[in-house]
Amino acid sequence: MTAPLRDPAHRVSRRAITLWALEALIGFVLLVGLSSLAASWIAGSGRRFLPDWLTDHVWWVPVALAVVEVPFIVIEPLWRYAVHRWELSEDVVYARSGWFSRKWVFVPVSRIQTVDKEQGWFERMLGLATVEIRTASHAGSSSIEGLDVAVAARLAEDLAHRAHQLRDDAT
Amino acid sequence: MTDGPGHPPVPHPPPGDGALWVPPARLSPLVLLIDPVRMLPSLFLPLAGVLFVGGFSPSSFIWALLAVVGSVGYAAVRWATFTYRVAGDRLELTRSLVSRSVKTIPLDRVRGVDVTTPPLHRLFGLAVVRVDTGASGSGKQEGELDGVPLPEAERLREILLRRSRTVRGDEPGAVAAGAAPAGPSAVPVRERVYVRVPWYWLLYGPLSGAFLFAPFVLAGGAVGLVFQWGNELGFGDDLPIAVGEWLWQRPIVLVLIAVMLVLAMPVAGGVMYAVFNWNFTLLRRDSSLVAERGLVTRRSVALEHARIRGYEIADGLLERRAHVVRLWAIVTGLGDSRTRGQLLPVTPRKFATKVAADAIGPFEAGLRPHPAAARRRRVFRAVAPGVVLAAVAFAFGWVWAGLVALAAAALGVALGLDRYRSLGHGYDGARLSVRSGSLPRSQAVVERRAVVGWTVRQTWFQRRASVLTVVAGVGAGSGGYPAIDTGEEQGLRFAAEVTPEWITPFLKPE
Repeated sequence: MTAPLRDPAHRVSRRAITLWALEALIGFVLLVGLSSLAASWIAGSGRRFLPDWLTDHVWWVPVALAVVEVPFIVIEPLWRYAVHRWELSEDVVYARSGWFSRKWVFVPVSRIQTVDKEQGWFERMLGLATVEIRTASHAGSSSIEGLDVAVAARLAEDLAHRAHQLRDDAT
Repeated sequence: MTDGPGHPPVPHPPPGDGALWVPPARLSPLVLLIDPVRMLPSLFLPLAGVLFVGGFSPSSFIWALLAVVGSVGYAAVRWATFTYRVAGDRLELTRSLVSRSVKTIPLDRVRGVDVTTPPLHRLFGLAVVRVDTGASGSGKQEGELDGVPLPEAERLREILLRRSRTVRGDEPGAVAAGAAPAGPSAVPVRERVYVRVPWYWLLYGPLSGAFLFAPFVLAGGAVGLVFQWGNELGFGDDLPIAVGEWLWQRPIVLVLIAVMLVLAMPVAGGVMYAVFNWNFTLLRRDSSLVAERGLVTRRSVALEHARIRGYEIADGLLERRAHVVRLWAIVTGLGDSRTRGQLLPVTPRKFATKVAADAIGPFEAGLRPHPAAARRRRVFRAVAPGVVLAAVAFAFGWVWAGLVALAAAALGVALGLDRYRSLGHGYDGARLSVRSGSLPRSQAVVERRAVVGWTVRQTWFQRRASVLTVVAGVGAGSGGYPAIDTGEEQGLRFAAEVTPEWITPFLKPE
């Protein structure tokens, strides 16, 4: 059984899959690269602070990491695409994100302090954008990634406009 | 030296429309007496040096005199060039030494005013006023007036806090003292003392573990001082080293010293704690909650009532045995709320709950327990690190380390069970409350209107166990207060109970 919450109405842009795949690829290269460096240092140092069986087969570590990681380069973006959804209704932003672990946020428009549309380097390449919604609390803030630029711009605009109308300075 | 009921009424504040020019004021000239005394320690060595090197000749006395005069002159110049004034809707601090610098603090930024009286200041009836603007992190944004007469300090606090309200346009509302619109009608200060903590409750202090390391810090400081001053006083660097070697060859003495330091821990810690929390008084002055404490340096922190959103009650393992707790206010825009928002020192639980209910508001519902899956998860998480460590240790053949890790894992069972018992959440129609932790256990009580949103988290493991963590986002205190490992239905029902209009539209239809 899962949380008794319905799915938010809208999916993010399909190009977000490419974005997440690119990010996963970079993570993969960094992880394998760094572990290879560490392995070569351990193999080359000749120190015996680790047991022999580990030092002799230290090259298995980066290889194992690579083998385990590879499927995730494909799985994570697809999984994320299935999970990431958002909607704005009844003056509440409702969004779901994550993959292995999930996160739902509920941000009432009346408590929004700032709305930003941001584009990273890859996002600009793919015509995507992230909408950052900030309230007085980090736990009440959220960001919706992987939106089409036009959709993000409209959402940011709507939110800013509506937040201004509803402004409720309780905090 | 608290301000008794005989406190003089506040003088007329300057008119508040900002069109009138308010003359800038200076700090009390009495600071000129304090400043050189404070500089004395740093001046002492150079002065002594000058005298020694000069062989106490008349000229060396003249040089020393010049140095003293110079420092006094410097203090005088600093005093003469610094002015402050409350002009319209802002506080201006002007320093015009070579260039002119004006620091402007808009009054609607003022979150709290903190009045302290260090011993020397108290001697001359002066105080240090700090204006807290809730600027994130850096202390640069804050204003400090070091050395205003006490009545002026009280008047400033009054004006700054009242103006900060009227500028923001908050309603006087619940504030009975009537935050008068910035007119010339002065409202006499109304005080209501909630509590003066009796001295014998200070004995609970060591239970909180505060200042436990005081003896070590003091001993370390003394050793450092000997090294620093050894040269100047003429024993040279060798003496402390010689003493160290002498000690090193007599381990029994070393052990004795260590034992004495350890034995001194609760005593010295208790004494420090008592000095800091002496005559702790919590009172309501107009529309602020004021906590005053301290024996040597008397510190008084004013929290504007309209900005208080709730409170946090914490107790450690020992404290729970003795049924005592600590209490903090959750205040919007107050950095460092754990020291500044302190409302009570360690006091009996019943008493603290009553004070919190009187001063801020009661929490009248019980806490609901979390499902059995939460217990499994708490215990697993407390035991697992020990088991993993033990497995690694045995794999490497370190039997003793493995046994220690196994013992830690066994203790983890008790810890996990206790952490589960701590978990709870509740809502009484006005305030919500969540509790968690064990070694330090803490319960937060937050007003409903302070909630700015919700975050629901579920890891893959939590999903397998059908639990989730619901975090109430609050624009005050630590920002988010989590109900950890609630049931899936339970957690969302909790959020929907507090703010139904934000959650129910998204619940799955039954």
